[in-house]
Amino acid sequence: MNAAQVLNGLALGSLLMVLSSGLAMIYGLRGVANFAHGALYMSGAYIAYSVSDRMGFGLAIIVVPLALAVIGVVLELAFFRPLQHRSHIELGLITFGLALIAERLVILIWGEKTLRVRPPEFLQGTSTIFGVEYPSYRLAIIVIALVMAAALILWLRLSNVGLHIRAASQDIETAAIMGINVDKVSLIVVSLGSALAGLAGTLAAPYIALDPGMGNAFLITVLIVVVVGGIGSIAGAMIAGMGLGLIQTLSTVWSPSFAVLVPYLALTIVLLWRPTGLAGKRIS
Amino acid sequence: MKRQLIAAVAALALGATTAACGSASTNSGSDGDSDTIKIALIPPTSGALAQFGTDAVKGWKTAARIANDNGGIDGKKVELIIKGTDADPATTLRVAKEAVTKDGAQFIGAVMTSPEHAALNAQLEGLGALSFNSLGKDDALVGEQCSKYGFHIVQTSSMDINGLADNINELPGEKWAIMAVDYATGHSAAKKFKAAAEAAGKDVVMEQFAPLNTTDFGSYITKLKDSGADAVFAVEYGADGVAFVQQADQFNLDDQLKTVLGFNMVSEPLFETLGDSIAGYYNNVGYDVDADNALNQEFVKAYTEDNGSAPYYVPADNYLAAETLFAGIEEAGSTDPAEVADALQDLSLDSITGEVTLRGADNQLLRDSYLGEVVKADGGLKFKILSDANPDVTTPEPDSACKK
Repeated sequence: MNAAQVLNGLALGSLLMVLSSGLAMIYGLRGVANFAHGALYMSGAYIAYSVSDRMGFGLAIIVVPLALAVIGVVLELAFFRPLQHRSHIELGLITFGLALIAERLVILIWGEKTLRVRPPEFLQGTSTIFGVEYPSYRLAIIVIALVMAAALILWLRLSNVGLHIRAASQDIETAAIMGINVDKVSLIVVSLGSALAGLAGTLAAPYIALDPGMGNAFLITVLIVVVVGGIGSIAGAMIAGMGLGLIQTLSTVWSPSFAVLVPYLALTIVLLWRPTGLAGKRIS
Repeated sequence: MKRQLIAAVAALALGATTAACGSASTNSGSDGDSDTIKIALIPPTSGALAQFGTDAVKGWKTAARIANDNGGIDGKKVELIIKGTDADPATTLRVAKEAVTKDGAQFIGAVMTSPEHAALNAQLEGLGALSFNSLGKDDALVGEQCSKYGFHIVQTSSMDINGLADNINELPGEKWAIMAVDYATGHSAAKKFKAAAEAAGKDVVMEQFAPLNTTDFGSYITKLKDSGADAVFAVEYGADGVAFVQQADQFNLDDQLKTVLGFNMVSEPLFETLGDSIAGYYNNVGYDVDADNALNQEFVKAYTEDNGSAPYYVPADNYLAAETLFAGIEEAGSTDPAEVADALQDLSLDSITGEVTLRGADNQLLRDSYLGEVVKADGGLKFKILSDANPDVTTPEPDSACKK
C-alpha cells in the first residue's frame, strides 16, 4: 500500500465528511431523513459549474454554499416547519419528491450531458507530498474539509448558538421550554446543512463528472455514514465519513468488486456492535 | 427514528439495484401492406441516455424528410410516430406494443440499449413488426437473442474490438494496461484486446475492472501509474469515461503514456466536455462524417441544415437504419413487415457508409469499422480517421445459436 492510495482514501473521505455532516445536522435536529440532501449536493455542483465558468472557481466556493443556504431557508420555512408535526416518513417522502423535482430542474437548465469543471489553475497538476506526486486539487479538498470540520466543531462547542443547537438536538421540546428559540435554531441548522451540501457539491465538481444522477449515487453512502456515525452526531458522521472513504478506497486496491459492498458491510457490523452508531446521539 | 432511517437506506439501496422485469406480448398488430410507412421511434427520454435518444430521432427525421421530399419510398409517405421510454426493457416493450397495436406502426427504431433490444427481439414476431437496432452492440443480439424480425444495423462489440485489434501494431506503446468497466462488455473487450495485444508481441502488464457508475478513479489511476504501463486500453462509458479522463488528467497520467486507446469512451458529444486533454487519444469510430461518397455528403448537408450541427455516429447509424429499411421496402414492393423482412435477407445497398450487406444468417449489417485519433480542428476537436477495417476482418462468423 503506498502513500498515494492513502491520500486517495483521505480525499474521498473528506468529501463524504463534508456532505454527511450537513445531513447529520438536519437529521439530529429535525428528525427528518432528508432525501433531498443528494439533490442539494448535485444542485451545488451544477451551480458551481455555471459560477466557475463565468466568475472563476474561487468565487464559486463562496457563492454556492450561500445560494444553497438560501434554498435551505426555503426548505425550512416551506416544508420542515409547517410539517413538523407530520410523521417522519411523510416528511421523508416529501423530501424524496423534492429531490426528483430538483433533478428534473437541473436537466431543464443544464441539459443531460455529462459536464466537467476544471480546478483553478494553481491547483491543476500535481504536488509532491510524502515522496509521491499527488493531484494538488485533491490535497486542497482534504485541507478544506479538515478546516471546515474543525471550525464546525469549535463553533458548536464554543458559541451560544452552538450550545442551543446541541440542546435542541438532545430534546427539542425541553430546549423550547428552557427558552431556546428552536425555530431560529432550526432555521440556522437547515440552512447551514444545505450550505454544507453546496460546499460538498462545489468541491466535488472538479473531482468527479457532473451528471443529474450524481446526487443519488452519493445519497445512499451518506445515509449509511450518518447511521454508522450515530444518528444526529456531527462528529460521528465526520469520523464515519473519513473512515468509510479510507476503507472503501483501500479495499478498491485489493478488490474493486468487494469495495462496492464496504458501506453495507460497515453498516451491518457497526449496528450489530454498537446499535447507536459510533458516537450515539450527540451533536458534536 | 433510527429504524425509519435504516429502513429508508435499505429501501433506497434496494430501489437502486432492483432490475425491472420485461413483459410478454403475443398480440399481432400490423395489418399488412399500407399506403403509409409508419415507423415508431422509442428512444430514452430521461436519464443519462436521453441526449443520445434525442439525436437518434434527429437521424430518423432527416431520413423521413429526404424520403418524403423525393416522393416517398415506393410511392408511400413516411410517417414517424415518436414515443419515449426510460430505457427499461419492460417500459420499451409496453410502448412498442402500444405503437404497433394502437398506432399501426409496422417498423420500430431508435431503441437504445441491448437489454431493451433483447426483450424486444423476443416479441417481434408476435407483434408483427420489424425492429432496426442502431445502438445496442451486444453480440448476443445476433446470437442466441436474434430474431427474424430484428435487424442489427450497428456494429457489434466484437466487430468494434476486432477493428481496434487489427491496428494495435500501429499504436505506440509496448507495455499495455487494461482499464475496463466491470460488466460483460468490459470483460469481453478486455479479453479480446489482451489476446490481440499478445499476438502482436505487446506486453499486457495489468488488467483492472471498475464497477459501473464509479465516480472516483483515484485508486485505479494510482495502480496504473505504479504498473509502469506506457499505453492504456480503456473501456469506460458516459459519466464514468468523463470521470476517468478528468482524473487521469489531474494525476498527470498522460505524461507516462504514449497511447490511450478508448473503446466507445470518447465520442463527439463529449468533446466539448472533455476538452483538449483528450487530443491525441485513439478510439474506435463507427461512422466517418467525412466519408467521400455522395450519399454521405447529402446526409451531412441535410442533417446540418435540419439541426445546425454535423452528425455523429448516433444520428448517422439511425439514418443508416432508415436507408436499410427503405431499401427493404423498395425491394419487397410492399410495407408488409413479413415481406420486407424476406426482402432484406442478404440485400446489398449503397449507403452513407458505402456499400453494405445485410447478412441473412443473423441479420447483421456488414459494414466498415474505423480507428480514429482525436485531433484539434476548427477551434474544437474532431476524429481523424487513421484506418478502415472492412467487415471481412471485423465480423465473426454467424453465431450458430442464432435460430431465426
